Amino acid sequence: MRAARLKAQIEQTLPAAFTVYQRQESGSLPTGIPQIDNAVCGVPLHSLTEICGSNLASSGKTSILASLLAQATREHFCALVDACDNFDPASGQAAGISLPRLLWVRCGKSRGPQNGRFCRSGVESRVKLPPLEQAFKVADILLQSGGFTLIAVDLSGIPERVVRRVPLSSWFRFSRVIERQPAALVFLTQEPHATSCASLVLRVSTAVHGWGDCPALFSGNLLTQWNLNVEIVRGREKKPARSERTGFSLPTQWA
Amino acid sequence: MFACIYIPDFPVQASLLPEPAETRTALTHSPIAILDGPANLPRVFAANLAARRAGIQTGMTKLQAGLCAGAVLRNRSFAEEESAQSTLLDCASKFSPRVESTAPGVAILDLSGTKKLFARQKDSQRGTSRENSPQNEAWPRALRTITAAAAEAGFEVRIAIAANPDTAFLVARGFSANTIIPAGEEAQHLASLPIETLPLPPEMLETLNRWGIRKFQSLAALPTVALVERLGQEGLYIQKLARGAIARPLLTIEPNPDFAASFEFDDPVETLESIFFILSRLLQDLCSHLLATAQAAGELRLTIGLNVRQLQTTKRRDAAYRISPQIGQDSKDAPEGEQSEHVWKLPVPTQDKNLLFSLVRLHLEQTSFSAPIRSLRLEVVPVKPRRAQGNLFAPPAPEPEKLEITLERIRGVVGTTDSEGNDCVGAPLLLDTHRPGAFTLQRFSIVQDAYSPAHRNLSPSKNIPASTISSVRLCVPCGPSFRRELNQNSAKSTLSFSNSSPSPQSTPVIALRIFRPALETTVELDGSKPHFVRLWSCPRRVLAASGPWSSSGNWWNTAAWTREEWDVALQTPAGPGFYRIYRDRLRRQWFIEGVFD
Repeated sequence: MRAARLKAQIEQTLPAAFTVYQRQESGSLPTGIPQIDNAVCGVPLHSLTEICGSNLASSGKTSILASLLAQATREHFCALVDACDNFDPASGQAAGISLPRLLWVRCGKSRGPQNGRFCRSGVESRVKLPPLEQAFKVADILLQSGGFTLIAVDLSGIPERVVRRVPLSSWFRFSRVIERQPAALVFLTQEPHATSCASLVLRVSTAVHGWGDCPALFSGNLLTQWNLNVEIVRGREKKPARSERTGFSLPTQWA
Repeated sequence: MFACIYIPDFPVQASLLPEPAETRTALTHSPIAILDGPANLPRVFAANLAARRAGIQTGMTKLQAGLCAGAVLRNRSFAEEESAQSTLLDCASKFSPRVESTAPGVAILDLSGTKKLFARQKDSQRGTSRENSPQNEAWPRALRTITAAAAEAGFEVRIAIAANPDTAFLVARGFSANTIIPAGEEAQHLASLPIETLPLPPEMLETLNRWGIRKFQSLAALPTVALVERLGQEGLYIQKLARGAIARPLLTIEPNPDFAASFEFDDPVETLESIFFILSRLLQDLCSHLLATAQAAGELRLTIGLNVRQLQTTKRRDAAYRISPQIGQDSKDAPEGEQSEHVWKLPVPTQDKNLLFSLVRLHLEQTSFSAPIRSLRLEVVPVKPRRAQGNLFAPPAPEPEKLEITLERIRGVVGTTDSEGNDCVGAPLLLDTHRPGAFTLQRFSIVQDAYSPAHRNLSPSKNIPASTISSVRLCVPCGPSFRRELNQNSAKSTLSFSNSSPSPQSTPVIALRIFRPALETTVELDGSKPHFVRLWSCPRRVLAASGPWSSSGNWWNTAAWTREEWDVALQTPAGPGFYRIYRDRLRRQWFIEGVFD
């Protein structure tokens, strides 16, 4: 009785003190690549996902994102926040993306502050934000707005040392906001940064057997396909004791 | 029956209308006088009750009126009076389709057939049946309802209901409270009114005063023939007015097709807060007008007049914004006529003032002007409101109204256009050209998707400029694009069509990450093939190369291009990287276009 009374008193002050936090029942978006879909059941909704890969070498992260967008835009509206303006619409359409259903936000491309002097509230001239901050702010706005089933943020063009400085609280906030929405938030980075805030972390690389080998397949004078490896660094259910690897190959647009 | 809505001290109330409700309430009990006349000698044109009690009279000079402690003196604004009159007519139109704009601050509406309307309104609130409610209670309810609507619009009004419009007008003007005159009792109720209430010329008023006639009762009792002999037909007319015996049809107003509101500042303003406040008020008026006419805004246009004359000495001009001289304006007035125009095409017609205001506010917060603002003009293109329900089978999407706000907020963060003039936010649209990387951004809209299921079957020519289509016919089909089209199946042969639907069996392909702008580089050749490529200042050995693929286009104009393209596998510390490089034959320079990733 005493414990019950004590519990009631605490709940009067802190109503959510004894509430058991339950995760949303999450669905998933298929990536369109059978090997990945079989291994992780697609990209989870209500969650933050990271797809990592080198920026210098070809890793295949953009191809996976394009395939994911192609699958998602069949039935949903999606947004791509492009921090360094690297998206190629022709490649996207060749991958099957329904471009009218894709909101493309090109960060870091505006002309900068205007020359007018009058009718500015606050500061005289607006300070142009760096692309990383622009991308985060836009992602925040899109999350607040709702209605987009897939929000992809491409940060892979931003230097690694800059992304590393993003505080963990930012990733945590994103993961908590996306939990309440029927949407998937996907970050494209060079290295994993969100740590435990991400439900799924994939690291993509080119399958090389030896130094100097070229993993691509050339047919005569045509580059036709190359082989890729995907490492599941963090899965949806639990972090694997040892990361799993799966391999597949992607053809070129003209193959 | 006819109802007259009369606004006492109309110029004063019109000047208070743009103020916030709290300020308006506070100022109502302060002495306020409106000045009119030449700029060097303005005189009191109108004053409210508090000002009259404080001793301010019509015709006083500004100096005399200023002697009154606490008096607020304002210049007369015809724009404010027009706006107030428009608001009054909108308010009256809510209750009857037949409304007459009798005079400034006066509107008469025909209440024929509206008795049930007022009875039903109150009955539904009380939950009683209409049949049980006495019919003669309808007009008191009408008085209360119209008074409440006028108060909501910002007016303190007097209302009179009578069997003819002129009696209603005279009663509303003469009595200090809301009044209902039953049919047949007009003369009896009008008897006590002073003859100054009648719209008389000064000479006739002087004549009547000389005769000792002070009240309507005296005028109505005069013998008609003798009165006509002395004052003519005008005498007969005013006697009929005094008896309440004139029946005339209403001169009803036509629906105003011009959905526009404007405001001119006394002094040019330099801060956003001032114009936001006025814009909010103007939008409120426009949305009320739209609601009253059962229409919605399909497009919103804001024209901002800039006071460039003030800056002529400094010669500062903002070339980045669309500042165009006013059409049809005299060259003498050109410096005064600079204006900045902004247009919002709404995906879904709306009557929501808050939505429109948010769009305007977010846009103006990103905008700066070359000169202080002297005037605002808002114009709405009216369309029929959206009646159709959304498609139940449409994909989940942001609300169309909310999406516009979201896009405007995003533009506030990333900007509107890049250095090449392309938008920074929107849906990508491939141009129908063989030039690599040619794209544009179109307006991102979910309305087509949600309300027209067949939107994907648009023909490519609908969204593609004619010039780009002609370029396809003339372009040399020898480049990589041609190579790709040859290798694609028939479903993918619409690569350059903007609205083609994705193939249901679309398979993942290697995507290209584009460098914008392309990176300049140097290439060491081994024979005709690339051997080393300088990538970010480091020479990288070429493991494999595919090419060359030649393409060219636009040779008929200044935008000519010709290039020789290679797909190369470069050896990097992180592993092999597949890059697309090309040689610009016109500039004789190598570039890295992107990386396959």
